[in-house]
Amino acid sequence: MNTVFNYAVTFASLCFVLAMIFALIRLFRGPAAQDRVLALDTLYINGMLTLLMLGIRSTSTVFFDMALLIALFGFASSIALAKFLLRGEVIEP
Amino acid sequence: MLLTLIVLLPFLGSVCAALLPANARNAESWLSGVVTVACMALVASLYPQVADGEVVRAIIPWLPQYGLTFYLRMDGYAWLFAMLVSLMGALVVLYARYYMSPEDPVPRFFSFLLAFMGAMLGIVLSGNLIQLVVFWELTSLTSFMLIAYWYHRPDARRGARMAMTVTVAGGLCLLLGALMLGEIVGSYDLDEVLAAGNGIREHPWYTPVLVLVLLGALTKSAQFPFHFWLPHAMAAPTPVSAYLHSAAMVKAGVFLLARLWPVLAGTDEWFWIVCSAGASTLLLGAFCATFQRDMKGVLAYSTISHLGLITLLLGMNTPLALVAAVFHMMNHATFKASLFMATGIVDHETGTRDLKKLCGLRYRMPVTATVAIVAASAMAGVPLLNGFLSKEMFFEESIIAGSESGLRFTLPAVATLAGVFSVAYSVRFIHQVFFGPPAEDLPRRPQEPTRGMIVPSALLVAACLLVGILPSRTVGPLLETSMRSILGPDLPAYRLAVWHGFTVPFYMSLVALTGGVALYVLLCFRKKTMVPTPLLSRLDAKRAFDVINVAIVRGAGRLARFLFSRRLQTQLLLIVLLALGVAVLPFLVTEWTRGDMPLTPPDPLFALLWIVGAACAIGAALQAKFHRLAALIMLGGAGLVTCLTFAWFSAPDLALTQIAVEVVTIVLFLLGLRWLPRRLAFDTVDRQTLRARARRTRDAIIAVTSGIGIAALSFAALTRPRQSRLAAFFFDRSVEEAGGRNVVNVILVDFRGFDTLGEITVVGIVALIVYALLRRFRPAPESIGVPRAQRDDVLQGALPERLDDPLPRGYMKIPAVLLALALPLVRVCLFCLLLPGPR
Amino acid sequence: MEIVYALAIGVLTASGVWLLLRPRTFQVLMGLSLLSYATNIFIFGMGRLVMYRPPIIEEAGATDPSLYADPVPQALVLTAIVIGFATTALTLVVLLALRGLTGTDHVDGREPES
Repeated sequence: MNTVFNYAVTFASLCFVLAMIFALIRLFRGPAAQDRVLALDTLYINGMLTLLMLGIRSTSTVFFDMALLIALFGFASSIALAKFLLRGEVIEP
Repeated sequence: MLLTLIVLLPFLGSVCAALLPANARNAESWLSGVVTVACMALVASLYPQVADGEVVRAIIPWLPQYGLTFYLRMDGYAWLFAMLVSLMGALVVLYARYYMSPEDPVPRFFSFLLAFMGAMLGIVLSGNLIQLVVFWELTSLTSFMLIAYWYHRPDARRGARMAMTVTVAGGLCLLLGALMLGEIVGSYDLDEVLAAGNGIREHPWYTPVLVLVLLGALTKSAQFPFHFWLPHAMAAPTPVSAYLHSAAMVKAGVFLLARLWPVLAGTDEWFWIVCSAGASTLLLGAFCATFQRDMKGVLAYSTISHLGLITLLLGMNTPLALVAAVFHMMNHATFKASLFMATGIVDHETGTRDLKKLCGLRYRMPVTATVAIVAASAMAGVPLLNGFLSKEMFFEESIIAGSESGLRFTLPAVATLAGVFSVAYSVRFIHQVFFGPPAEDLPRRPQEPTRGMIVPSALLVAACLLVGILPSRTVGPLLETSMRSILGPDLPAYRLAVWHGFTVPFYMSLVALTGGVALYVLLCFRKKTMVPTPLLSRLDAKRAFDVINVAIVRGAGRLARFLFSRRLQTQLLLIVLLALGVAVLPFLVTEWTRGDMPLTPPDPLFALLWIVGAACAIGAALQAKFHRLAALIMLGGAGLVTCLTFAWFSAPDLALTQIAVEVVTIVLFLLGLRWLPRRLAFDTVDRQTLRARARRTRDAIIAVTSGIGIAALSFAALTRPRQSRLAAFFFDRSVEEAGGRNVVNVILVDFRGFDTLGEITVVGIVALIVYALLRRFRPAPESIGVPRAQRDDVLQGALPERLDDPLPRGYMKIPAVLLALALPLVRVCLFCLLLPGPR
Repeated sequence: MEIVYALAIGVLTASGVWLLLRPRTFQVLMGLSLLSYATNIFIFGMGRLVMYRPPIIEEAGATDPSLYADPVPQALVLTAIVIGFATTALTLVVLLALRGLTGTDHVDGREPES
């Protein structure tokens, strides 16, 4: 793997992790619950992307499955949280 | 094989007996009779081998690598006892058939009796110390059931409980002693233990082992100061007493002492402990027996006294005394069982056992009277009966042992005095019951019992006579075989004969006989009422036992109250503190060092990632009280970072599981959030109080300490090299044998498949519990208002009719549609996750 | 790397223990979750930190364990995660039931007197 590519991947992952940190700040500051939910969603997405970068660095395909599932589950949890915010409960009687 | 059958048969019979209907008296008796006689025949069939000095063995390996085998061995001594146990068992079964009244539930009786017999045979035939202790405890348990047979009677329950407490406590000591013996010898095998006598006696553990084993044996054999349970165990049905207190239960203690005699005896400790216990029991029992009012009470105390005699003989440290002890065990079993049976007959026929009420029964029950008189004479030591022989041996040994140990006059004097008392109570027993004018005010009109009850007793008395008249012809060979198996080739020369000439022991016997009769006559004249026991009536061991019992229970309650808190916080605090303490403990002796493995180069990305994770964790900790949703979202963040960590360090499966569980947990929490009461920061004032602040500071300190501690611990562990043979094993085999490339998966579903099955079961059980609890105990809907979001909906009206109408404020159309589409999908996903565990 | 890892475990544990000692059910539950993360990472770390070498045998015959991360702690932790989830779910429902029965979310089922 050539150096440029290597640097690019490292830079990308650094960006993603930084994005996570910014999402974290939003998560802490709020102010509304909706903001926090969105922050978690962003966290999930960036986490997934970091994982992908890790996969590219290690030239292994295992990480792609994982990234897919993280995305799916991140989506599920965001949905559940959104529903909670909207209706006050997740599964309505 | 035969040996295994001997032990197994009674237990099988016990199970069968328990399954028979409650009124099948004859079937029960036949079954038990067949089992006991079969055992007897099996034991008898082994005599030729045993008589040749051979040891019959049966070994079934169980955990051979730990030295645990099911090992039965029968030498001469074990044969003698096995014979005694099964013979007495057969006679007692015959007797019990006629003794038990039709109202009594006989299956329980015969079932426990057979189980007891099996346990007793197990003790006698065990070739492994641990196994011996197991059977030992089994006898305690089954005797508890037998003594408490009439459980509607409080005295029976009480006596049973007392017997059980004392003997089981002794059994525990014995277990400890056996374990220590095994440690010393390096094997629990009885053969090896018996061969290692010198090593054991010189071992520094000898004294504790001796004390522990003696505690076991002396409690079982009702030796002073543990004698008090035996009289109370007399609440049992008479056949049980006849069996337990003549041939079986109480003999187990002295059996064990004689069994371990070659190993443990021969030291001063042995002499002093065993002799003093034996001598005091001998005197105490004989003395108390003289003043009992209940026929069975007399027999109970006389049993104690005779066991004391045997113990005293065992303690004398000479082979001849051992011979006398074993001989007396047999003699005592025969005459005491027949006396118990006679007592049972009297009780059965007259309805009372009170010595003050009974009188002149010889007119109405001549056969019973004859049998009882002969048996009591044997107990008193009248010449031409077996009791005389062993008693004379006892007198002789007491002289020898006394002169050897510096108790030249004490020991013979004690022996003679006990003899005097023993004659006195025997005479009293017979005279009060069978002589004098016929009693009038008895509950029932006495008559001769059925033949089935008198035959066992008469057989035993015949044995007493035979042995007493022709000792060397009848019992001589048996005794010699058994003694040879204990003592080996250095068996001392002894002579079983009725007449030894005018020796000192003979004069002692004479003194005892005349003195005993004189004492009885004296007591008759001096005092018409002979209860309660003079001097000792205030010294009640039973009360001491009760007091100790109550004190222990109260103390336990107090301790529990002291240690236990109903408050979860206190409990959790204690648990955390304990864990901390245990973790700190090793560092008191050694100091913390980091390992010498080089650190892997730090990755700034990973560090940044964990800044996010740590912030989430701390945020969750701080927000959990007032902003539950925010805390939950932060928990999600921490979970995500954990998941990424797993992925980072090459554990893709873990990462998947973690993320799945994470999301499901969040959904579950969201479900629960709806039912929790609202809590706002300004609602509570307890933040301000000094105590609350102190508590929070304390908790914070504990939390930070645990965090630092575990961080230090994991750092130390992470920097140390590690070799795992397990990993190599799994890598080698997973492709070839399990056909899987993902080793973690292979471990879970193949190598440790059953664990995973168990895990799935756990998850399934939890799912069921969750369902059941939510259905039954969910907070009532009225207790919590409709969620604010829904209330707002209601206030602002439902969705507009037409599409282009303005939507209500705060309503998001697109997410709503998306959600409506996605939720079924989410449900399916969650359901899939629940099914096989998230693999 | 090890230092970061150890610190991460420490932070998770400290937060978990702090929450565990709080009086409200929700807090205790969160504490349990955090503590189980910490424990899982700790156990996982006992296989030492190995990057880019998941225990998946790519080509036949490459069975030298030094080529891979240790699978045994991973298998252990996998089980632990699932069981931990079951425990959390159970505790949650029990605490909900407690809330339904007693009307308070204090762990002792009643508000402290003081």
